[in-house]
Amino acid sequence: MFQALVNTASRLLNDLSRSWFRERFPAPEPAEAAPFLPRKYQRLERVVLTDEVSRTLFEEYAVHRKGARGDEETGWVLLGVRDVSEAVVLATLPAGAERSAGVAHVRFNCSGQALASRIVRQWDRRLIMLGVLHTHPGSLRHPSDGDYHGDSQWVGQLRGKEGVFGIGTADGTPAGGTLIARQPQPHMQALGELCLSWYSLREGDRNYRPVPVGLTLGPDLARSLHPVWVTIEHYADQLDRLCRQQAGVAFRVLSGPNGPALGVDVKLVAPGEVLRLVLCGDRAEYFLWRGDELLAVDPGEERVDRGVYLLLAELAGES
Amino acid sequence: MDFRPLNDTERRQLISALRGNAESDRAILMDRRDTTFAGTTEEVTDEEVISAIKSVPCHY
Repeated sequence: MFQALVNTASRLLNDLSRSWFRERFPAPEPAEAAPFLPRKYQRLERVVLTDEVSRTLFEEYAVHRKGARGDEETGWVLLGVRDVSEAVVLATLPAGAERSAGVAHVRFNCSGQALASRIVRQWDRRLIMLGVLHTHPGSLRHPSDGDYHGDSQWVGQLRGKEGVFGIGTADGTPAGGTLIARQPQPHMQALGELCLSWYSLREGDRNYRPVPVGLTLGPDLARSLHPVWVTIEHYADQLDRLCRQQAGVAFRVLSGPNGPALGVDVKLVAPGEVLRLVLCGDRAEYFLWRGDELLAVDPGEERVDRGVYLLLAELAGES
Repeated sequence: MDFRPLNDTERRQLISALRGNAESDRAILMDRRDTTFAGTTEEVTDEEVISAIKSVPCHY
């Protein structure tokens, strides 16, 4: 049966398929967790964004406003590192195309964000949930009463029982000349008409507190995932099941003939053998890499988690 | 072999690490050169992060 499933690749297929094995964005080396003793968190005195995180937020906010759903609210989950009195934002997870949103609310597609958090935490295990940035269509540069109702209960589960909350508005006054970011107040960033205002909220607080924002050089560790976000959302639940049940599942963003794709590697027992899924939109391809031999495989299954297990079962029968 | 009693700080740290390991599954770190105690890690699990992501409230 396995022979029926496996179509040994011709040289041409090999050449074509190998393009899927070129990494568009090589996965960074996993960061070693720095040893430290359990810390006592104090109130947040500062939020620091890396330059790429800051660019992501402004650029994607601008793109959102020009899009078909530009009148709706949108947002990002913010992951990063929490220090004693400072939070450094290192990754942005978009609300997703499958978000529920309107002119007065946004609820993120958490399935896509959950899978993305698994992926970026493969690259840096220190990343934790820091908070959320969401936009307001009008000029309210402060979280609303409705925001407080949910956030005040939610922050209790965060490290330090405190969260970072950003509000995006498009009510700024663009300065003339070359477009550069300004910081009109310690807790505000402005670029053209777009403003990001930053607050913190700790468990038990009666209101949000403006928190000074700073910039540092650094990456947005999730930025390489944004071009494949539709794919991430499409396969989120299936891949999440796979990750929970199967150790050694690794992700990377690949460049291929049809644009960027999400690569999912499942290590096999034999050294150097890998089962790689290449996911692009709702299209899934399976490849078995055995040393120098590359095989295209079709398990004939729509769900990728079932497809992987069918192939693993066939491979187990082979041995 | 060098036997010496731990000082107060080392003892507190080791007890804290053992407690963290027993109660919260925190790893106890070892110096790879001489296997001495090198602290503990406050590693956050995927489940903790995903739980926080999945419970993000609706924003208005």
